[in-house]
Amino acid sequence: MPVGTLVLLILRVLRSGPLHGYAIAQRILTLSSDVLRVEEGSLYPALQRMLLKGWVSAEWGISETNRKVRFYQLTPEGRQQLETELSDYDRVNAAVQAVLRLA
Amino acid sequence: MSELLRRLHYLLHRRRLDAELANDMEFHREMAARDGRRLGNTLRLREEAREAWGWMWIDRLAQDLRYAARLLRRSPGFTMAAVLTLAIGIGANVAAFGFFDLIVLRPLPVREPETLLRFTRHSPEAYASTLPYPAVAFYREHSRSLSAVLALDSGKLAMEGDQNRLDAHFVSANFFQELGAAPRLGRLLDPARDEPANAEPVVVLGHGFWQRRFGADPLVIGKTIRLNGKPAAVIGVASSDFSGLSLDEPDLWAPLTRQPYFVSGSHLLTDWSNDGSGVRMWGRLQPGQTSQAAEEELRALAAALRRQHPNVTWKDESLPSQPGGYATGSMTGTRRGTGPAPASELYPVAALIGTLVLLILAVSCSNLGSLLLARGVAREREIMVRVAVGAGRTRLIRQLFTESLLLALLGSLAGLALGYVVLRNMLALTGAPPWLDATPNGRVILFAIGVGFLAAILFGLMPAWQVARQRHRATLMRQILVGAQIAASCVLLIVAGLLVRALDHALSTHPGFEYQQVISIDPGLATHGYSPAQARTYLDTLQSRLRELPGIASVCLTSTPPLGNRMMVSRIEIDGRTISVHINRVTPPFFETMKIPLLRGRSLQPGDARSIIVSEPFARFHWPAENPLGKQFSTGVDAAGAPVNHTVVGVSGRERLVALKDPEAVEMYQLAQPADLASLVVLAKTSGPPEDVAAAVTRIARSGDPTIFPEVQLLKNSFRRKLRDAEGSALVVGLFGLISHLLACLGIVGVVAFAVSQRTKEIGIRMALGATPAHVLSVVLRHFSRPVVVGLALGVGGAAALSQLLRRELYGISHLDPVSYLAAVAAFAVTVAVAALLPARRALRVDPVNALRNE
Repeated sequence: MPVGTLVLLILRVLRSGPLHGYAIAQRILTLSSDVLRVEEGSLYPALQRMLLKGWVSAEWGISETNRKVRFYQLTPEGRQQLETELSDYDRVNAAVQAVLRLA
Repeated sequence: MSELLRRLHYLLHRRRLDAELANDMEFHREMAARDGRRLGNTLRLREEAREAWGWMWIDRLAQDLRYAARLLRRSPGFTMAAVLTLAIGIGANVAAFGFFDLIVLRPLPVREPETLLRFTRHSPEAYASTLPYPAVAFYREHSRSLSAVLALDSGKLAMEGDQNRLDAHFVSANFFQELGAAPRLGRLLDPARDEPANAEPVVVLGHGFWQRRFGADPLVIGKTIRLNGKPAAVIGVASSDFSGLSLDEPDLWAPLTRQPYFVSGSHLLTDWSNDGSGVRMWGRLQPGQTSQAAEEELRALAAALRRQHPNVTWKDESLPSQPGGYATGSMTGTRRGTGPAPASELYPVAALIGTLVLLILAVSCSNLGSLLLARGVAREREIMVRVAVGAGRTRLIRQLFTESLLLALLGSLAGLALGYVVLRNMLALTGAPPWLDATPNGRVILFAIGVGFLAAILFGLMPAWQVARQRHRATLMRQILVGAQIAASCVLLIVAGLLVRALDHALSTHPGFEYQQVISIDPGLATHGYSPAQARTYLDTLQSRLRELPGIASVCLTSTPPLGNRMMVSRIEIDGRTISVHINRVTPPFFETMKIPLLRGRSLQPGDARSIIVSEPFARFHWPAENPLGKQFSTGVDAAGAPVNHTVVGVSGRERLVALKDPEAVEMYQLAQPADLASLVVLAKTSGPPEDVAAAVTRIARSGDPTIFPEVQLLKNSFRRKLRDAEGSALVVGLFGLISHLLACLGIVGVVAFAVSQRTKEIGIRMALGATPAHVLSVVLRHFSRPVVVGLALGVGGAAALSQLLRRELYGISHLDPVSYLAAVAAFAVTVAVAALLPARRALRVDPVNALRNE
């Protein structure tokens, strides 16, 4: 997992709707075809930081196994942060590609 | 901003939010387990997650504090010793600061103290702390920047039936009202009723006086008492927490406009001259005015006054102000002189006392530091375990320092209590007014905590660092601590020795004149408005009556009674060198009465208008190699501007008549002129014990004029009174010195005992190999010889530097007086040697077999 992209991925995944912690990790794993494995040790600290910054908020819900668990969802600031990070990522990515292609 | 709010929200709901997180991760673990994956260490993950919020340091601090409290509880002996040592060190500082706070920082209990200003007179050539009353009235009438002007004059009144004279304060009628005072009984002075010249004479009693003299009788209101023979009605009693504007508590207050009524013939209210006694002046600023604006306005008014009365105001006179609502405003009592005003003595004394109490703190902290280092050895295992489990050095230091902080907090509390007790007793012993309350206010409490924190850094940081590095066996740190203790308590002991020796010197050496058998009689003729001719008649009659009394050997007159409170100092310039001289205007029998030797020349004779006798140091200063007789110098200019020349006709001894302490005081004697007569004091030498004749003398003194109440004093009582200050300070510093010395010796005992216990094995081996007792002792004590010597040297050096500030208090002893230094150092060395040898003896009793067996 490249440094700094975890937050971007979580924000993107949550754009489609609120999810609990395990579901976020699973979704990232599945969508990347088992390449990007989010460790629990990085997921929850990242989620706490995002809670601190106000990009996500946590609400109680019932899981598919009928257990009470917190679901994380994007806040408007989170949506804004997602846009910012997406454009940053695109820019950096294009720059890296350019160097790799032309150097 | 909102991030901060979110952090705070987390802080307040930590438990709930942590539980929710735990629940999330628990759920994650279940799901992962269901899918066949294992989760890591939940606890550590949860801790890492919590770190994001940034409040972990609170948890760590709480943890450290709990552990420190447990440790302290487990070793009560150590805790008590440590807290006691700290209490002494911090308590001394708290008491000193509390005193400073009371005198300088706390406002007097009056209404709006910040707007009160005390005014004194300054000009480039002269200064005075009182103003003529008519000038004060002028300023009051014309000033726009001051909303009120207060005036005060202190005097003494004789009450019928009372042996001692009463201290009276004559105040302007708005005094009590402006200060917002409420009476305990009856009413206080009121401008409407008591100001007019024909108002009925009234007095207000002081609370202490009312209790002592009238037994707190509530029926005293309305009673008439006779003061100086004149009746006055008592209209009220002031409350016990009324401070007035000064630190001294008068027995009663009377309206200033009635002062001539009590002191018959007094010209106080109309006297414009600069030589009169004048009154002290305070002003209250109008709302919104600054003190600079008031000073500017008064300066302009003084200039205007000079145009009307050119002789009574000085050229370029200004009236600088000081904060009047604080005790310092009252400390410039009544002083006047030529030249620039002398600097306040308050700050050098405060600096000196501050340094002394900081030295005590240094001794306490070094003591405690050694104790902590010793404990470090006992906790070796614990530290090793912590390091093995993964504690970083910073974490260890933080934990050890937290223990020191806890100790320091306990020490601060104990020190606060001890300081309060000490200060309260000090105030009671010196007879301070009752409104001075020793209870600590916020500032003093903050100071105590601050000093505690400073102490924690001093005694805790270095040992913590050493222990965390597991280098506590290194002796350098210990040697430094021992050296510091020795140096600090050595300084205190030497300074105490100097003060004690100065006191002894003052008591035992002859001040150059006879005081044991002299009585002084002060009729205060000037305050009663006597003209020179009237004064001459009065004094001649008084002197001849006294001479007729059996038991009186000789009688004379002088302007400045020896050992009194009056001083006339002038700066005399001769051939470019200036010296400050005490001036005495005397009659010819003075030298015989006071038994002052005349080393050269002759005494003064009647008719000597321009002859002067100087004291020996004066002659030595100006004419070291020549004969001073016949030399001329000028003492100033007369009305026409021509220099007034005087000729030296005699040289007296080394006496210091009034400024006993000042080693540089020199005296000068002139014949009393008619103009001086009204302010002269009578001195009578008795041939036997003065107490026998005192009553007869008082009777004769009173017989001259029934409206005059002369003050009769035995000079030997005045001498004892003058030395009371020196006794007090010698006592206090001596106590400081002894306590810190005791602490230092205890510290040395502890350190040496510890060293012995650490090196038992080594000592056993040496003894088994045949070492002599002397050799064993030297091995044990070798490490301490260097710090002791260095400490002593630093102590002597520090004392020499510090005692510079004390020079004026030493009654002529040099601040480098070898006797005091040697005695203090010798006493110190002996006690330190004993303190070191006592535990070292234990080393000699080590049984080699046992020592080697117990690894």
